[in-house]
Amino acid sequence: MAITFPHIPAAEETAPARVATAKRPYPGALVVVEGIDGSGKSTQLYLLKRWLEIGGYRIHFTEWNSSPLVKSATRRGKQRRLLTPITFSLLHAADFADRCERQILPLLHGGYLVLADRYIYTAFARDAARGCAARWLRNLYSFAPIPDITFYFRAPLDVAVNRIVAGRPKLKYYEAGMDLGISLDRAESFRIFQERILSNYDQMIETDNFILMDGTVRVNKLQKLMRQIVGERIDLGQFAPKKK
Amino acid sequence: MTRPDKSNGSSAATNGAAAKQSRKKMRPEAPSRFYGTALPGVKVEELSGTLFVLEGTDGSGRSTQISLLTEWLESEGFAVQTMGLRRSFLVGQDIDNLMAENSVTRTTLSLMYSTDFFDQLERRILPALRSGLIVLADRYIFTLIARSAVRGIGRDYLHGIYEMALRPDLTFWLNVRPEIAFDREFKKAQTISYWESGRDMSLSNDLFQSFIRYQSLIKREFEYLSKRHGFIELDGEGSVSEVNRVLRKRIASHLGIRSTHYQPSHALSHLWR
Repeated sequence: MAITFPHIPAAEETAPARVATAKRPYPGALVVVEGIDGSGKSTQLYLLKRWLEIGGYRIHFTEWNSSPLVKSATRRGKQRRLLTPITFSLLHAADFADRCERQILPLLHGGYLVLADRYIYTAFARDAARGCAARWLRNLYSFAPIPDITFYFRAPLDVAVNRIVAGRPKLKYYEAGMDLGISLDRAESFRIFQERILSNYDQMIETDNFILMDGTVRVNKLQKLMRQIVGERIDLGQFAPKKK
Repeated sequence: MTRPDKSNGSSAATNGAAAKQSRKKMRPEAPSRFYGTALPGVKVEELSGTLFVLEGTDGSGRSTQISLLTEWLESEGFAVQTMGLRRSFLVGQDIDNLMAENSVTRTTLSLMYSTDFFDQLERRILPALRSGLIVLADRYIFTLIARSAVRGIGRDYLHGIYEMALRPDLTFWLNVRPEIAFDREFKKAQTISYWESGRDMSLSNDLFQSFIRYQSLIKREFEYLSKRHGFIELDGEGSVSEVNRVLRKRIASHLGIRSTHYQPSHALSHLWR
């Protein structure tokens, strides 16, 4: 194997957002939903998945759950509260890399339409809210393929926070951003943390070509819009069942 | 004195202002600073300790030298903290487990090593440096960068991740030819490990060939890193006592220790040859 040491120019301050029509080195397509907890994104992606599944399309659904490889470390770090903003970020990146290299990329190369509940933008918004530098985070996740569509579900902070707090008996330590020492009250800390995340998401609408979805719109109406956008932007015929 | 980076790529270019500012604050003999963005919450001026790094492949004699240097520094009245790969409480054991399986991919493994590194840095090394200790690192970011780079991960990507690492006060590279490293490692373990021979890279089915080719690739990365980061290159093929004498001389002059005389204690005399 020949090794060369080319001079590589310095990374951009913020990675340039690639246009959705960019030529990709694989036949598959990637559709991503993003947004804070309680924004309605998972419900909408579930309905989109059902629509495509029922139609017999070649799809795969993936969500940001810990892969078994990294799970024990994440659990130990969280239980014993050992994680700093940097190690929290790196451990989640390692976890995502496992999902990306062993699941998402092979599926894209294999010609699947991949639906992802949360993607790298979750890490950008969340880890920046913890104090990691945006440029460092962009570099950290630069191995990830850029989505064909990123739906950003946005609900007012109160709506989203109330949806989560009402449904959960107790917010977890890191989930509530307690490691930041914002407030000793978990619900209060969670709210402020989510507010920061929301503001970080908002800043990515333009730089990362988010499609803004109003999380307060009725579920079926929003789903209709989502299906329409997917149909317009992705050549679904490519993933359709083969006619015999 | 720390030598400046010759071509600091992304970190210096985009953090020029920050780097300049931190340089201004530093006294001439001040210990360490970051390559790029500082770790959140760390004040460079609080770090009164010193960080010395020993790099080199397996079989280059790093661990032996660290044991001897620790004893010498302690006898001179300096408190020593050590660090190394896979020694973090957070993920050290997990990396061992990952490496025992063959399902782990290169980026995941690389990032697990970064997690291991930063866990040690933030929770053990920085507190030690704040307390004025001498930190001896048995390998540092350079091994991690080299191993990932030979597996095709971008060098700028890797330098970007480690821009929040502390710049060592001195980095020594114990350079040995792969053939010599092979002899030493084989003598030690009677076999050659899967990862040290780079068998995940499918370089050769012959274990010796695989080891030599892998270590040669690593060595070339080190040659590049040495230029970029100003390593002090030492002939790792010299005798333990000779290499140790050179290390003591450089460290003593950095710390202002007058006498570099040292004779290992009975407990360590078996290392002395």
